[in-house]
Amino acid sequence: MSGINQISKLLTNSALKSTVWYCRKHSQQIRLLSYVSKEYDEKNSPAPHFFNEKIQNLLLSLTRTDLQKVFQKRTVGSLEDPRFEFLTDKQLKEKLDEIRKVALKHLQFPPAVPVRTPKDKVFSRDPALKGYDTSKFVFTDISFGIKDNDRIIAVRDTDGTLQEADWKTRDRMNQVYFPKTHRQLKVPHLFNDSYFEDVLNNREYVFILDLACQQFEPDDPEYQRIASITYQHINDNNAFDKLRSTRHFGSMTFFLVWNKMIDNLLLDLIDSCYLNEASELIELYYSVHNIQVDNIGNIELIGDFLKNHSNKQAILELAFQATKDFLKKKEETVEGIRKAHGH
Amino acid sequence: MLIPASGTGQYLANSVKAIRFAARGCTNRPFYHIVVTEVKRDQVDPVIEQVGTYDPIPNEYNEKLCSLNFERIKHWIGNGARVSNPVRELLGLAGFYPIHPRTYMTSWRNRKKLEDEINSQEAEQENDK
Repeated sequence: MSGINQISKLLTNSALKSTVWYCRKHSQQIRLLSYVSKEYDEKNSPAPHFFNEKIQNLLLSLTRTDLQKVFQKRTVGSLEDPRFEFLTDKQLKEKLDEIRKVALKHLQFPPAVPVRTPKDKVFSRDPALKGYDTSKFVFTDISFGIKDNDRIIAVRDTDGTLQEADWKTRDRMNQVYFPKTHRQLKVPHLFNDSYFEDVLNNREYVFILDLACQQFEPDDPEYQRIASITYQHINDNNAFDKLRSTRHFGSMTFFLVWNKMIDNLLLDLIDSCYLNEASELIELYYSVHNIQVDNIGNIELIGDFLKNHSNKQAILELAFQATKDFLKKKEETVEGIRKAHGH
Repeated sequence: MLIPASGTGQYLANSVKAIRFAARGCTNRPFYHIVVTEVKRDQVDPVIEQVGTYDPIPNEYNEKLCSLNFERIKHWIGNGARVSNPVRELLGLAGFYPIHPRTYMTSWRNRKKLEDEINSQEAEQENDK
């Protein structure tokens, strides 16, 4: 796929583009998505790590808050007209500080929590009720002020069993009686099979993740399937820039760290000369996996990680060396220019 | 005009209250509100409070949906409201009340009817042979 994408970047001719489109369509028919859903497990819960303040700060710092991108128009949700104001420098600074606080709210990461356990509690069995009706009865407690998760929803089966409703029915009933805006009663086909694949191949990552956040709860196995597959797709295609400055970058980084697959992201950071962020990523990795290291500097930390924990050591070390050389040369050049100017 | 769930009906301290169905569908589409109202009031009159809904037509998943505000139902029962038989049956199925005898009767009759049908079909098949 990446080869085809590169070709399509090079081509501007519309006739040739249609050929590429054909190839892409054709290749999709042959190669299906081979990603496996990676859910967070109940036994090894990521929640205590994820909600740790230090880790949250690291994730936020890695997200690289660009206000232009945080407040850009999204494909999901309502649109608002821009407002123009004349401000003095001082007022502008105040406004920007205010906006930064709002941006933090926009960047709240979808939480990493273990998948919910199935509900199968049976309240009573009464075989004498067999034959009462050919359809099930679903009873929902609509008493005021109960959370969606705690609400009693019971099903009387046709064989007379009264039991807790499973999660799918619960979601449906909650949406029927307590609808959430933008959430649909039926899960859109977009999240399934070839439609989902198309979205990923078109690199509409933010769109699909935003939509998944609206449609599902974070502990829904379906949400974790969509999110994990999307993250893996991004990781394989090195499309991290698509997610930067969005709320999903933190969750994706955490996912990659949790599943020990940060090499591509690390390579991306090293290649783009963000050595600070690279060391932050490694710090994150070490604190999530409880790896003890001595107090050492950024560069040494990266070197240590590449030696002991990376999966793509050769490539990463090459890139690391190249970046170090580049930065050194840059420093020398700057120094040279300074001297030439007589400072 | 639609009646708000909080109810607009007249509340008299000493009158008898009932928890019962109020038909709120249209032609060929039954739908019921479960309401608290005065016993002597008409079905279309304003109610004291709505405490649930019942949709007797199964949806595409073959489910009949029923919502019940148990908090308010308990409150009204505690205040001496009577519960009508159809609602009593529903509350029995929901596990709130014991199963209503009529529910057992209906299921027994339905089972017997099914059995009879199967028996008669078998008899017919044997006759054909």
